[in-house]
Amino acid sequence: MKFIRANMSDQTITEENVPNNYIGLGGRGLTSIMINNEVPPQCDPLGPDNKLIFAPGLLSGTTLVNTSRVSIGAKSPLTGGIKESNVGGTMGFSLGKLGINAIIVEGKAPQGELKFLKIDDQGKASFVQAQDYKSMRTYELVEKIHKNFGKKNSILCIGPAGEQEFKVASIQGSDTEGRPCRAAGRGGLGAVMGAKGLKALIVDQGGKNPDPVADPGTFKESSKVLTKIINEDPFSGNMLPNFGTPVLVAPVNSLGAFPSFNARKGVFDGWEKISGEAMAEIQGPRGGKMKHMGCTQCIVHCSNEYVDEDGKYITSALEYETIWAMGGMTGIDHLDTIAKLDFLCDDIGVDTMSTGVGIAVAMDSGYKSFGDRDAAIEMVEEIAKGTEFGKILGQGPVAVGKHFNNERVPAVKGQSIAAYDPRSMIGNGITYATTPMGGDHTAGNLVGAYLGQVLDPLKKEGQIETSREIQFFNAAADSVGMCLMVYASLNSPEAREVFLNVTNAKLGPELAVEDLRSLGERILKAEREFNHKAGFTKNDDRLPKFFYEEPLPPHNTVFPFSNDELDMMFDF
Amino acid sequence: MKVTVRLYGTLRKRFSGYRAEQGLEIFIPDEATARDLLDHLKIMESLGPVVAMEGRIMKPDDKIDQGADIRIFQTVHGG
Ligand code: SF4
Repeated sequence: MKFIRANMSDQTITEENVPNNYIGLGGRGLTSIMINNEVPPQCDPLGPDNKLIFAPGLLSGTTLVNTSRVSIGAKSPLTGGIKESNVGGTMGFSLGKLGINAIIVEGKAPQGELKFLKIDDQGKASFVQAQDYKSMRTYELVEKIHKNFGKKNSILCIGPAGEQEFKVASIQGSDTEGRPCRAAGRGGLGAVMGAKGLKALIVDQGGKNPDPVADPGTFKESSKVLTKIINEDPFSGNMLPNFGTPVLVAPVNSLGAFPSFNARKGVFDGWEKISGEAMAEIQGPRGGKMKHMGCTQCIVHCSNEYVDEDGKYITSALEYETIWAMGGMTGIDHLDTIAKLDFLCDDIGVDTMSTGVGIAVAMDSGYKSFGDRDAAIEMVEEIAKGTEFGKILGQGPVAVGKHFNNERVPAVKGQSIAAYDPRSMIGNGITYATTPMGGDHTAGNLVGAYLGQVLDPLKKEGQIETSREIQFFNAAADSVGMCLMVYASLNSPEAREVFLNVTNAKLGPELAVEDLRSLGERILKAEREFNHKAGFTKNDDRLPKFFYEEPLPPHNTVFPFSNDELDMMFDF
Repeated sequence: MKVTVRLYGTLRKRFSGYRAEQGLEIFIPDEATARDLLDHLKIMESLGPVVAMEGRIMKPDDKIDQGADIRIFQTVHGG
């Protein structure tokens, strides 16, 4: 049970036992509460006072399935508020096995200096000179790191976009094959890492010192029950392994909620060509994999490996949100192009969602035509090259809108929304508007409630309460290190009960949480408190104007909630 | 009455020879409901089916319109 503090200004590393007020916290709970305590809210996100915190989930490093997520937190340069972005792959598990609860990167390296932070199999950290890796793209970078430091290392790294401190820069994580294709994409945390002068975090996978489980018997028993529930659920046990997240393209289009052509339409004309079903048909004969284990400890395998006509690797994993941002939003109905764009974003180190939406805003402004595949690829390349337009796109969709004087930018608190239009899945609009994270679906996605027929996506009843509850539960999920795909399948009261038992068996009676909801509530309160101190007011908890004014075909509805109604979200 | 049904997710595998472009053309009684349609197609509850007509999710007792374009997915929890 320890924290590692790495100071980039004076190149010192200190270890400390986890202070009492942080014991029992993990993942997002730890990063958010620590940022609220330690980071000056008004600080420059790219300056020395910001902190970049890596924290594995509470259950990461245990034997429980699907718990290899690591949360990364900081003050976001994109939103100006608190940010947590989590990523799967192998890092969460590696840190958990070493008994490291958080790595806190502080200060800022002198201009132009670049370092790796390396952690060995005993959990000892050291800085390594990384000057030779300057400007390197992530695929080449991880290959070199594996060659020089050994294949059995988990990596979180940045590409040229992070080094250039672009606000859409991601932190890329290595998957089970060692490829940098898992992304903590949102909020521009790659820019924070770049500003600190940290090119990569490299952690040995051979740790043998995980934090103890307080009640191993109950933990084992309840873990077994959870595994059974996950395997038997039609979504996690059947659909995800067959299609992955792209399976969402069909239902969301069919319900008229797939924001297309920069959110001018709710159904994308070419969606049948970019759906999960289409991907399976294209990839089958080529030898691509629709089922792939992206993360350690995973029994679901929602990841995929997308290959070209010659069977050559293009990218992994091509996810629903990327298909939307790089496909529906840009009018590109060609999966091979979308796959190439996904690879390019991972390689340069940018968020596929904010980048795709930025491209869509540029196209909507007449800079290029919707559907122009070559133009989209060139625009992403321009970020890496640092051209005049690349520098604008690299700062996110709001910067693009400002440049072209186009107010139709689907972003909240500076961050683009996700693949569910708030005019036809109105509860997701409440989440986008109110989550402290800025436009974000993982904070509280209601699509399951719509498809599960718990709520009508177009009627106001129950939306605020449901968004609030899911925001609480997801904050808790992000804290335990469980992948959201699987966590979402645990939606019956019985499954939640077993999950709570596992968590408390790990923590022990003194730290046991009463319920997942209250854990989530505590986290959200800390996040809102930070944003408030950073200068956010309730006027920031609003959607862009056009969502209230422009009806979205085919339902021709607008976002129906008033400001007062939106503020009710915080009646807790 | 005749309706066209398009299937998504793993449901397609249950109908050999299913062609995505055409979907399934089937005859069901007038006044048939979403539940009747699922029974007709032998799509069990355990598969988590969701029936949609004209961009709206149907409740089990909702009636299907003549000549409607129907889509059936499976419950999805989020991406
Ligand atoms: S289901 Fe997907 S995201 Fe979740 S752990 Fe498995 S591969 Fe990773």
